[in-house]
Order: sequence, then structure tokens, then C-alpha cells
Amino acid sequence: MKKELPKIDEYNFPLIYKHLSNFIKIEVSKARVNSVVLGLSGGIDSAVACYLASNALGKENVTALIMPYESSSAASMDDALIVVKTLGISHYVIDITKQINEYFAKEGNSGDAEGIRIRKGNKMARERMSILYDYSYKLNSLVLGTSNKSELLLGYGTLYGDMASALNPIGDIYKTQIYQLAGHLDIPKNIIAKPPSADLWAGQSDEKELGFSYETADGIMYLLIDKMYKPEVAVSLGYDEKLVDKIYGKIKKSQYKRRMPLIAKVSERTINIDFRYLRDWA
Amino acid sequence: MKKNNSMKICLAQTNPKVGDLKKNIENHVEIISGAKVQGAELVVFPELSLTGYFLKDSVYDLGINIHTGESAVLKPIYKTSEDLNISVIAGFVEKDEDFNFYNSSFCISKGKLINVHRKVYLPTYGMFEELRYFKPGDGFGVFDMDGVKVSVLTCEDAWHLSSSYIAVNKGAHIIIVNSASPARGIAAGLNKFNSMNMWEELLSVIAFYYKSYVIYVNRVGFEDGIGFSGGSCIFNPLGEMEKKLDYLEEGVVSADINLDLLNNERFKTPLIRDENLNLTLKEIESIVNNETIK
Repeated sequence: MKKELPKIDEYNFPLIYKHLSNFIKIEVSKARVNSVVLGLSGGIDSAVACYLASNALGKENVTALIMPYESSSAASMDDALIVVKTLGISHYVIDITKQINEYFAKEGNSGDAEGIRIRKGNKMARERMSILYDYSYKLNSLVLGTSNKSELLLGYGTLYGDMASALNPIGDIYKTQIYQLAGHLDIPKNIIAKPPSADLWAGQSDEKELGFSYETADGIMYLLIDKMYKPEVAVSLGYDEKLVDKIYGKIKKSQYKRRMPLIAKVSERTINIDFRYLRDWA
Repeated sequence: MKKNNSMKICLAQTNPKVGDLKKNIENHVEIISGAKVQGAELVVFPELSLTGYFLKDSVYDLGINIHTGESAVLKPIYKTSEDLNISVIAGFVEKDEDFNFYNSSFCISKGKLINVHRKVYLPTYGMFEELRYFKPGDGFGVFDMDGVKVSVLTCEDAWHLSSSYIAVNKGAHIIIVNSASPARGIAAGLNKFNSMNMWEELLSVIAFYYKSYVIYVNRVGFEDGIGFSGGSCIFNPLGEMEKKLDYLEEGVVSADINLDLLNNERFKTPLIRDENLNLTLKEIESIVNNETIK
């Protein structure tokens, strides 16, 4: 019985690379467009998505938006620019500080600091989404998603913010595997080496915030989700019970983020309940 | 019987456009014509090659009663088959006179319909939901094509080893497995997805132990993020892969099946001759009658 998250290695990488490239190429062409636009943060996930898209569609068909806020780290911007330069893709830098601060100036900073920080983070993510979708129209391009499987399962993302996209090539790939993939894509070492961060405020760290490492969480989620083992089975295989419960709880609690909004059924045929077609139907 | 006791078969690894019968038929005709130039006598297309796979409610719009005027839409395929003196196996949504729908594959040979296989085992688990829409077929037929006996198993059919057991014991020389198999399962140390590996092991086992040619024709392309793996291939009765198309890419390849080699293998290792059907029958009866462990 295989118990470990399978590695993306030199043997399977070529086929996975081809598969993900085909996915982008084919699904983009079905929308009758040629190009994608994506938010480039300077982190590893959007860098991987960007490399995949550039390979699939050609560098002239990928546009990166770099959308810093005043607290975004300068290193993130540098790393994003390295990706843009290495791939030779077009890019725009759009600072979102003004609109975010203007909104929160009117809202006032009442309420607890933690609450404000989360609201601000969500607002930034949705502001970026809003700009991406505006550019989607402007450039006649689809928005390429950059959320990985780990954060989608844990609900570590903003609904209708960074989780929003038209298509996502890396949403079924765990963070641990994203690092392996990045290694084979020749993504700059600096981007691979730095600790994962949403960079919504200075010094933010995914793993500190979550309270566990991606490596451990991915190992557990691989058993719970991919292998469909019950939590007690994951525990019997050597994982800490409290951590398994915590992760399973996070997955369940964030299910709403992975589904379309609920629709109250009143008719005989209801969208997505018993009106069932592929998105590729058209 | 054929010259040299052989038959040239073309494996057509296509990327059907979901829901677009007309376009897919055009594509089939083009491929059949190209295969004829290469000398093929039979062209095999994937499961549901004329419609696409994850059809959901559009099954309702795509069903064809192949025995009525509705089959007029297939005229270009009948005509090409007749004009080029060639046989074609392709997948479609079949509708019967009682308005049941089937995941079916026809064989049109030299302009005439000579066989329809209705998929028996309809996967309805994980990402699959075939039983929601289709009625299961009721058997595994063997039919004659210019002296070669052929049986068609569609995808999941082949995962039930009883189906190939039935086919060879009914006399099949070649087992055609047409499929729409999604690529899935990252496997460390392997240059393919897990699902591809499972298929190749299974097909090799069927070919070797049932002493038959196995022709696997799988599709490629994506439907709503699910990618089909391709890797269509042919296994000889020694269980060896003779030809293979690339994973994930459209393509065609022709291969000869050789009945002399089949004859040779079946003589040296007469597993089919020695099969004790009465024993199997007795055992299955006892299983069905719930007389299991005494």
C-alpha cells in the first residue's frame, strides 16, 4: 500500500508537463481566445502557473499583472519581475494601495486588529481579482488560476479573490509537489527557496499562520482525500491525531469555498442540480 | 480469408469535439480515407468517438436509433466504408425503439452494419456517472470480419476479466478495447500516469492468457479539465506490445495482426482449448444459487 504523497520526479515530469500544457491550450481555445492573464505575486505558485502558460500558449499570449500593496515586500516584486523577464512576457504593475486605503479610511479602523487585518487581506485579494477580470475583458484573455491543491483544500484563500479564475492548471497539485514541479521547470532558485507567504502583510508566513508545515499537511491530505482513508487510518499510519483532526476540520469547514453558491430549488430543472451540462457544452 | 492470413488495422486516437456529431463524423471520414491509403482494412476509433464522453444531459440530444431513419446522419461513414471497401468501429450514443440509451460501438463493414456492441459495465463511481444515463448492454458478441473473429469491449468492460473470458471462449481472435480513459494518478519513478500503467498491464494479461490480439484505442483531449490519456496500442498473443501511439496526443498507427502467429501461440500454449467451460458453468451456477462455501 502506497502511503506517501507521490513525487513529481524526472520520470513523470515530462508527461505531467505535457498534460498541464495541453490542458491550458485546449481549454483556452474552447473559450475561443488565445491568451491568459494572471496575477504574479513573486511566489512559487503563480510562477509555476506562469511558466506552464508561457510554454502552452507562447510568451506573446501570457500577460502578468503585478499588483503590490504598500506592505508587499520589495523582494516579491523583484521575484515577479525576474519571472516576467526570464519568460519575456508582457506585464503591468498596478499598485492597489490607494483604493484599499481609501476604502478602509472610510470604514475606519474600529474592531479588533486581527479582524481588520483579515478584512484587509480579503479586500486586497478581491481587488486583484477585480483588476484581473477587467484585464480579462480588456485583453480578451482568460484569467488563469494559481491556487494549489493544499490551499484549496485547507480553505487558505479568499473566496472570489485569489480563488477566482477561469481555469487553474495547478489546483490538483499539492504544495509539496509544486516545489518539485518548479525544480523541473527551472524556476529561479530564489523563488523556490523562500518560505511560502500570501504576502498580505509584512512578515506573513503560511506555515506559521496555519500552524503546521505543508509537507506534513500534504502527507495527511493525500491519505484523507486522494486515498480516501478515514482520519483514524491516517493516525494509525503514524500521523498525530490532533493534527489530522485539525486538517480534516479545515477541509470540511471550507467546503463552501469550493462550490458554486446554493440555489433554492423551486422549478423542475435547476441550474447545476438537474440541469447538467459540461462547461465545454457550447 | 485474407492474404498472408493477416489483417491491417488502423488505431485512430482522436480528440472528439463534445456534442458535435457533424464535425466528428467529418473527422472520422478523413481519418478512414487516410487509413485506406496506408492499406488498412479496419479502422478503430475510441469509445463515444462521435459524441465525446462526459455528455451529461446532452446524451438526450445525441442518441441515434441506428436501425431507423435517424441513422441518416451516419451516411458519410457508411458511404466511405462502402466506397473504400473498409471496416469501421466507432462509438456513439445509441437509442433503442423503447427510448433507452446505450454507450454503443458500431461496426460498419463495406457499407453494411455488421455489429453493435452496447457497453455492459457502466462505471458509476468516482468521476463516472454512466448508469445515470445509459442502460447496460446484455452480452459480449463475437462477429466475423473477413474470416477474423472480433469482439468489442468498451473501456470498463475490459476491467471485468469475465468479459474477455467470454469473448475468447466464444471464438474471438482479436479483442478490440475502445475507451475514453482519463489520465490520473501521479506515480513516482514512472514515465506515465498510474492509470496508463494499469491499462497496459491489464491488456498484456488479456492478450497473453487468452491468447488473443488485443487492440486498445483510447482518446485524448480534455473535457472540463479531465484529460484523456491516449496511448492506444496493440498487444500480440505473447502479451507483447507491438505498436503504440504517444500518450496525450492525437495520432494514427497501423498494425498487422497475423493469424499464423495466433495459430502458433494457441498450439504451443493451448489455454483456450483446455478451458473447462462446464466446470466454470457449474461453479458459476453454485455462486449464483448462493451455494458458496461448504
